[in-house]
Amino acid sequence: MKNSSLWIILQRMRTPFLVIVITYTISIIGMLIIPGLDNDGKVYHMSIFDAFYFVTYTATTIGFGEVPYTFTYPQRIWVSFSIYLIVLGWFYGIGTLVALLQDKLLIQELAKNRFKRQIKNLKEKYILVLGYNLATSEIIKKALDSGIRAVVIEKDEAKINELLLENFTPAVPVLNADVHNPQALETAGVNSVYCKAVVALFQDDALNTRIALTVKILNPKVRLAVKVTTQAGVENLEDFGVDIVENPFDIIASQINKALNRPHLLTLERWIYGSSKLTDSFMRFSPGQYVMCGFGRMGKAIYKVLKENGLEIKCIEKDAVKLKYLTDDERDDVEYVESYDKKALIGVGVEQAKYIIVGTKNDTINLSIALTAKKLNPNIITIVRENEMEDFSIFQTDKIDRIFMPSRILIDKTINAIIRPSADIFVKNIDTLSDKDAQSIIKTLLDIDKDPILFELKVTKNESFELFKRLENKTTITLDLLRKSLKYKDHLNNVFIFMILRRSGEIMFPSWEEKLQKDDIVLIGCDEHAKEEIELIANNFHEFEFAFYGKEHSLLKKIFGKE
Amino acid sequence: MNLDKVISGFFIILAMTLNFGFFYGDLADMALHDKYELFAAIVVNIIATVLKLGDRTQMGSVLLATSLVAVIQLIAAASVWTIAINTVGVIDKELSSVIVSLSGGALLANITSVFLYVGDTLKSRR
Repeated sequence: MKNSSLWIILQRMRTPFLVIVITYTISIIGMLIIPGLDNDGKVYHMSIFDAFYFVTYTATTIGFGEVPYTFTYPQRIWVSFSIYLIVLGWFYGIGTLVALLQDKLLIQELAKNRFKRQIKNLKEKYILVLGYNLATSEIIKKALDSGIRAVVIEKDEAKINELLLENFTPAVPVLNADVHNPQALETAGVNSVYCKAVVALFQDDALNTRIALTVKILNPKVRLAVKVTTQAGVENLEDFGVDIVENPFDIIASQINKALNRPHLLTLERWIYGSSKLTDSFMRFSPGQYVMCGFGRMGKAIYKVLKENGLEIKCIEKDAVKLKYLTDDERDDVEYVESYDKKALIGVGVEQAKYIIVGTKNDTINLSIALTAKKLNPNIITIVRENEMEDFSIFQTDKIDRIFMPSRILIDKTINAIIRPSADIFVKNIDTLSDKDAQSIIKTLLDIDKDPILFELKVTKNESFELFKRLENKTTITLDLLRKSLKYKDHLNNVFIFMILRRSGEIMFPSWEEKLQKDDIVLIGCDEHAKEEIELIANNFHEFEFAFYGKEHSLLKKIFGKE
Repeated sequence: MNLDKVISGFFIILAMTLNFGFFYGDLADMALHDKYELFAAIVVNIIATVLKLGDRTQMGSVLLATSLVAVIQLIAAASVWTIAINTVGVIDKELSSVIVSLSGGALLANITSVFLYVGDTLKSRR
């Protein structure tokens, strides 16, 4: 049944109600039986209503006095007995009700009901975020900024309070439940048409996988962003149809790979993800001696990439367990040390090395290694992994040249994949692009604006009304229309079209003659002014007329048929 | 034997019998309808209703509904009676037929309740 809080109240109130009814009845019957004397000294029996009235105000300790006539002694004896009976019965009932309202189960049920109502009234697109922490809080903020609502399931009450203190606007409904509980997921609206995506970025891979499977069984259509840190886990989830599988260490490794071979492509990708500006270049890796501390999952991924690119690298690792299963190649380059101290760093050749990559799980150790390395070799370039986002300020020192933050990578990737799915597809498609092409695209974009805007235009009834209407009427519209200036005739705005996303497939870098179709999603890079005009053309009848025909639409001319 | 069943069965049937006792007799003659019997019928009906509170089964909900109908009808009858006595002073034919027919409606609800209860019991025996 839907409303279990009401049932809980009713069931628990059964006994108190019975107690009240029975004590009242006993007292009333007594009052009815015992004869009284009226003002003239005649014997009378109380009417049922008088008795009920007397008992009612006595039970609630209001005490209006002896009505309708002053009581006789036998009546008073009965009243003094029944007061104890009915007042106790009444207090017992009230007490139970108050205790019930403070009952944890009931409070939880009430909160659940409130949450259900919130979800029911949520008639906008939203993402379902599992677990609340700094990373997901960042995701929620960005989603809210771009007009997508968020719903959270969290087990820990302290974290829920943190979320409430954050005061998100519009409000973020939060459910206190186990994140992998199918019922909780359903309550949070996994099956709702408004639920755009589910985000699970827990530390624990097994938990993420479990959530992914549960969600996919409940609703195979919903998009799912899941973090896993092992290759096997990634493949497993991809087999299961999870759309966005995120392995932060893989992403870091592939970024380093791109930085080595196709730096411009990496810049373009990072701009699309919103991680950096087009003018910032990611760090360049040049040949030389590399040193790496920590040979865990991240270490292995980076090691592989550097080796593939023919670079020299030496690694040290403190945890002997991690060194058990190494390939022969790895065994040559990885060394066991007791601790990451000065001696160990000198031993691995920090003094001659060009780069040091510090990637252990512990932020304090990472920081101290980086500082020691800088002291030993002031020219060394330090690349440090930062695990906790809270530690951001202490990592902002000139001793550290580059920070790798797995959670930051997850945030950017998740946001991009959920809010702008077309951009995510675009990034996947340009993976094969040559560095020269990427460089020329960046140049074009920088010609448009120093910091161009990336946005998607959806040719749907809701988001570009006029375009959609014209396409329904079989008007042929080319992409060229989107760069028409609304101020001056024959003038063109600064617009770059990355891609058209269509059901039949994507068109990369389409020409201006490409015809638009209904339900296309166009990924556009342009300046603020051009974006405004594109939105006007797409939605406004008059602006469309001007852009399309090159002149103002006039109703008078249309009616009188004059040119 | 289930003590819960005995208690709830007892109250459901007693509610019906008391209700019938009050209802039986000439509609227009108030002398044939005892006020104490009405009082007893109301109390027993309330108890029978409370016993069904919070029962989430289909049968429990229907039983609760019928009992609520009976309680409301009986309380309405008692209210009409009380108000009439304290304002008009006498119960004429018109008023007495109102009071008794209200309790007659409650009787129907009580009979439904008993039928449902018996039917449910028979079904669970099988």
